[in-house]
Amino acid sequence: MSDDAYLSLKDIDAGYGRTRVLEGIDLMIGKGEFVALLGASGCGKTTLLRTIAGFALPSAGSIRVGGRDVTRLPPDKRGMAMVFQSYALWPHMTAARNIGYGLRLKGWRREAIAARVAEMEALLGLGGLGGRKPSELSGGQRQRVALGRALAVDPDILLLDEPLSNLDARIRLTVRHEIRALQQRLGITTIHVTHDREEAMVMADRIVILDKGRIAQLGTPEAIYTRPASAFVAAFMGAENVVPLDAACSGHRVDIAAGPLNRAAGLMLDRPAPPSGRLEARFRSERLELRRLDVQSAADGGAIELIGRVEAVVYPGGEWRHTVRIGDGSVLVDCPEALPPGSDVLVRVPASGLFLFAAPADGPAGASPSAADENSPARERLTA
Amino acid sequence: MARLLGPLLVSPALIVILLLFMVPLTASVIGAFEVEGAYGLGNFTKAYDFYTQDIVFTAVIVGLSTVLTGLLAIAIGGYLTLGENRAAVAILRWLYRWPMFIPFIVVGQVLRTFLAKSGLLNSTLVAFGLLDPLTATSYLDWRGVVVAFVWKQTPFVALMVSGAMASLDRGTIEAARNLGASRLRILVEIVVPQVTTTLLVGLVLSFVTMMGVLSVPLMINAQAPTMITADIAFRLSTYRDYGVANALGLISLAISAVAAWFYLRVNMRQGR
Repeated sequence: MSDDAYLSLKDIDAGYGRTRVLEGIDLMIGKGEFVALLGASGCGKTTLLRTIAGFALPSAGSIRVGGRDVTRLPPDKRGMAMVFQSYALWPHMTAARNIGYGLRLKGWRREAIAARVAEMEALLGLGGLGGRKPSELSGGQRQRVALGRALAVDPDILLLDEPLSNLDARIRLTVRHEIRALQQRLGITTIHVTHDREEAMVMADRIVILDKGRIAQLGTPEAIYTRPASAFVAAFMGAENVVPLDAACSGHRVDIAAGPLNRAAGLMLDRPAPPSGRLEARFRSERLELRRLDVQSAADGGAIELIGRVEAVVYPGGEWRHTVRIGDGSVLVDCPEALPPGSDVLVRVPASGLFLFAAPADGPAGASPSAADENSPARERLTA
Repeated sequence: MARLLGPLLVSPALIVILLLFMVPLTASVIGAFEVEGAYGLGNFTKAYDFYTQDIVFTAVIVGLSTVLTGLLAIAIGGYLTLGENRAAVAILRWLYRWPMFIPFIVVGQVLRTFLAKSGLLNSTLVAFGLLDPLTATSYLDWRGVVVAFVWKQTPFVALMVSGAMASLDRGTIEAARNLGASRLRILVEIVVPQVTTTLLVGLVLSFVTMMGVLSVPLMINAQAPTMITADIAFRLSTYRDYGVANALGLISLAISAVAAWFYLRVNMRQGR
């Protein structure tokens, strides 16, 4: 992968004025690959995309495309075309003129441009709309015109800067699949910036999670979802529930002593355990077991059991969502049957859905890094 | 009570406009048609006989100045928006507004000494060997008037235009750059078309302002043909001929109205 990378970023630093936005970004992207840059707002993902596009110059590092150094080249000499978050269509030109503008700049003949524009309109389902101004198009149609404008010049690399964030939630779901299908059909190398975890998961071959200007984790959607490398990534990928635990660990084995909030447990992890001591246990609200404390069940290993009390129950659709108070914090637990508020309960978290990290030295383990962020998927999920 | 409050609050402004603006304007318009106690077109035929050349001169001079002002304002606004040399942009941003704060009469005075036959411009050109002292001529004719108007009005239009350019979606500029458009093409094909309305407002306001300037033609172009404003002043101060002065005023108004009509037409088309 590293040797035949089509687009490679090496040790990229970038910033505005004195503020450093990106630090030491190393990234290899294969030809035809669809990579999502995922992170909360302010993490540097748009700066990274703009640096790749050539709208911002890195203060250090190099960018190569197909073995050619493009670090200092202007945006139009990199073989890349960008779709902007605002679409940035030219309001005084018709859709067809918008799509054909790049070809006009290349000095194509009028008939050749018309043929290519017609091809793009057909490809994107814009037939019959070429004569309209952007103000006469719907959001989804504008988005497709912006995509057509970028694709018309036949770029080597397509850059997408949150292209779906201005669309209605329902249209967004279909456009995701349309863009992904189009990308696969054209086999075009694509980098997609988004703050929407699910969008990144369903569209990308690989996801790059950015946190404070650094790559927090890089991998396939499945790898990142099931094996988050840090508490930040776990939280970003939906493991918002967090409880502190004391554990003795060796190799893959974790032994948790009984405490006021949990029962004793011994787990075998499928990956090396963190160092012994104070741990931060993270898990999603799905695939948990919730039962009354007074109901006995066959105790088997491979799970931790937390003791708490139901505070609230809501029905967001599918399963009942319980807010369970455990010590000073609370967790969300989805369960097919509702337990009334006030019930003393046991929350059973199977080892396969449990992510253990060394507790941060500064601050309580209960603080989740992205829950306070307006744009975090966790927040959206909680308020959904 | 509440129904009366609205008109009551508006009335002072309304009365001021009526008394100080509408009444004198109406009196001037009526006065333009008054010839020795009767109504007729006598003042207009006189204005036509004496001043046709000046009317055409005024329209051409002001029109030319408006076009040049527009081009310079676009150039300044364009550089402020698309310029990549930060120091140059900062200097230009600081420098270009100054003429706005200088009155027309001072502009006239400054340009008299600058554009005269032995003025600063010619002496500089002679000093650099670009001009033979014997062929040096004064620029204090129509050219001087145009220079004065453009020098004074460009900052105002540039201020409006660069403000409009600054508030454009930067993405529309970057998208064009991304596809390989040069800065000049971006200015002409992407930026200017998006600020036409603002540009036209600035130019129409400049046009009307220049139509009414008296000091510049008096100081720079004290010869025939001259501008309508100088003729109006002459009719009033020398002959106390209010009739022809009013007729000339109405003709200026008509020329300004053409500019306003042009602006309204473009505005309507944009709004649709």
